[in-house]
Amino acid sequence: MDVTLTVETGRPTGTAAARRLREEGRVPGVVYGLSTEARSVSVAWPELRRALSTDAGQNALISLTVDGNTHLSMVKDLNRHPVRRTVEHVDFLLIDPDQPLSVEVPIILEGEAPKVDAQKGMIDQLMYTLPIKARPDAIPTQVEADVSHLEIGTALRVSEIPLPDGVTADVDGEEPVAQGSPTRSTVIMQQEAARQARIAAGEATEEDLAIEAGELTAEQVADGASASGASSGGDGGGDGADES
Amino acid sequence: MLMPRKVKHRKHHRGRMKGRAKGGTEVSFGDFGIQALEPGWISARQIEAARVAMTRHIKRGGKVWINVFPDKPVTQKPAETRMGSGKGNPERWVAVVKPGRIMFELSYHDEATARAALDRAIQKLPIKARIITREEAF
Repeated sequence: MDVTLTVETGRPTGTAAARRLREEGRVPGVVYGLSTEARSVSVAWPELRRALSTDAGQNALISLTVDGNTHLSMVKDLNRHPVRRTVEHVDFLLIDPDQPLSVEVPIILEGEAPKVDAQKGMIDQLMYTLPIKARPDAIPTQVEADVSHLEIGTALRVSEIPLPDGVTADVDGEEPVAQGSPTRSTVIMQQEAARQARIAAGEATEEDLAIEAGELTAEQVADGASASGASSGGDGGGDGADES
Repeated sequence: MLMPRKVKHRKHHRGRMKGRAKGGTEVSFGDFGIQALEPGWISARQIEAARVAMTRHIKRGGKVWINVFPDKPVTQKPAETRMGSGKGNPERWVAVVKPGRIMFELSYHDEATARAALDRAIQKLPIKARIITREEAF
């Protein structure tokens, strides 16, 4: 634990007071946890920024000094301005160093997936952070997931991610983290190839496939046939059969 | 183009677009997003044009999410018509967007290509917008 932060208590609450604090270069916040009463605090933005810029990111363990007492804490929540992206409010959670915590750590995909590349597919990451349970001193900065064995149609599950000792996943092990999926253009090419194969085998005509795909209705096909028959003039045998 | 299947009311009031986006201000699905910096109406055509520009640039691979839906009808009176005689006919559909809203998201392995694709999509939009990433520095 090397990040220390001093917060001031007794800040005035309310929108206008919070705005004035932000103009002074301080960030309004709240401290709670360990069955203590929630206290409104403010913290200097440069110090908070330094605390959050470590490798641990938002999961950094912070030695928080409140009214002269130092507690172990971490940032529970951050509110950012939607356009300026500045930090508008911060929640500090006091934590017990001996009790496991629930936090989310980033998932980094490692390796290439040659089988997916060979099938012109892509790796689709479905989960970007992994909820874990661990003691504060065992929280990893990130977890790495190897995707090199993936194929199209297979998925990497939470249970397959190697976790450090003392860390357990706080989510169902069957949840997919990443999957190999065909790209849009590959799917279109495969559909077109299947379509051409069916036409070549005489199983269906262009019109039948268009009706199957919902591009045309049977009535539109019939109208089209009768219109083309009328325009060609005289070649009305098929039209007559349709009308009867 | 995107449009509702059915609506309760065919014609809407124009409304006001003050304030900033209440939700949808974080990149949730992809790695990059297009964030609105101004309020505005984004028409279904513009959404489609932006989508096409993006998907054509990335060619193969990648995934695109459209986070806004044009659910507001905009009416228009025919040309050279005298005023009066009621509200015009619904002509197009728009999505109301406020500053901060992530309108599109993209996941793609190469950041330079993804940014170029998003730049092309931004050109199709009627408002100022910028590219935003999932990982943000402080």
